[in-house]
Amino acid sequence: MSTPDATDEQLRFLMRCAQDGDAAAYSALLTAITPRIRRAIRSRRSFLGAEAVEDLLQEVLLSIHAARSTYDPQRPFAPWLGALIRYRLADAARQHAKQGAHEVTVDDLDVTFEGRAANTEDGSVGDVEALAHAIRALPPGQRQAIEMLKLKEMSLKEASAATGLSVGALKLATHRAMTSLRRALGATGSDED
Amino acid sequence: MKTDDLIAGLAGTLTPIQRFNPWTRASVWMAAAAVYLAIVTAMVVVGLSHSGASSDPLYVVQQLAALAAGITGAVAAFLSVVPGRSRRVIAWPLGAVLVWLLAVLWGCARDLQSSGTLGFASQTDWPCVISISAGGVLLWAVMLSMLRRGAPVTPATTAMLGGLAALGVANVEACLTRPHAFSGIVLLWHGGTLLVMTAIFTSTGGRLLRWPSSALRATRRKSHR
Repeated sequence: MSTPDATDEQLRFLMRCAQDGDAAAYSALLTAITPRIRRAIRSRRSFLGAEAVEDLLQEVLLSIHAARSTYDPQRPFAPWLGALIRYRLADAARQHAKQGAHEVTVDDLDVTFEGRAANTEDGSVGDVEALAHAIRALPPGQRQAIEMLKLKEMSLKEASAATGLSVGALKLATHRAMTSLRRALGATGSDED
Repeated sequence: MKTDDLIAGLAGTLTPIQRFNPWTRASVWMAAAAVYLAIVTAMVVVGLSHSGASSDPLYVVQQLAALAAGITGAVAAFLSVVPGRSRRVIAWPLGAVLVWLLAVLWGCARDLQSSGTLGFASQTDWPCVISISAGGVLLWAVMLSMLRRGAPVTPATTAMLGGLAALGVANVEACLTRPHAFSGIVLLWHGGTLLVMTAIFTSTGGRLLRWPSSALRATRRKSHR
């Protein structure tokens, strides 16, 4: 059973308290407007899946948090919220279009690449113990990046959200970690030879 | 991350905030612009600078229109960083710019009638180009730092409005300190500078004020701690 939407008067009161630092009022406000935002996203982006809707909803909540100082309690709450939802959706559409412009759709991808380096005769997976040891020896930041992006196969966005690090910092840490691992494993291999 | 967890995280890191009042901020910026104009006027009065002031009604209308562009542009820029405000405020500075342009064109028509020329070739006006650009950048930078406290959801429009405000005031300063024999000079050199600088401000400011990316990143980091 769904609860009835809070009135604009109630939302204004909660936002005024939130601006004064009342965490309980803020939590109540965000909880009250969440279904309203979800409905607005679904009605304007009906083609989105549940997960994408939730992502956008969270972006809107973060926008509300970032813009909360601009709300004037003397004015209605709904137009302020509506404008933020509208701008956030437009921004997401722009980002999506920008990403799409740099992506190429490939219908039929070869199983292997033609390059010699991608077609080695050696099918073994290498020394797993040495790899695990080399990963353990990495500095904490690089080890975390490798574990999240390579072992757990998280996306850069997910890893960024989980660690609080920027995507750029994660890319750099991964690059450095890969260089260190290559050096470490290469050295091990040559020692054994 | 679940939405409920995000809400708990945001509420958990909540601190009291100072409300963003666009009218107060616009007033503060206008006070800074008034100080800038007062210094220039004082320099003209004590003889440290040339005077371009005139009692010609057309000159007065041009300066009042430029000042109106400064005032309405500042108000519109600060209102544009408050979500949900009417977009009609954008028309205010554009109306003032239109009045300024009509006054200059009227002056051109009058020059043509009285002197038989628009006087485009009579003088170059690089000092005005430099003073409008430098003054505009200074006042615009001050405004930009104040606008960042709001929510610039349409950064390019906000930057353009701020640019019109700053350039309006800088144009008054240029007209106060340099005499112009023909309105055609003002149209060509001042109008051209205003056009180019507005384009630069719009494109640069659109990037500098980009929202909510940087604000969101900071918020997300805090809510994850």
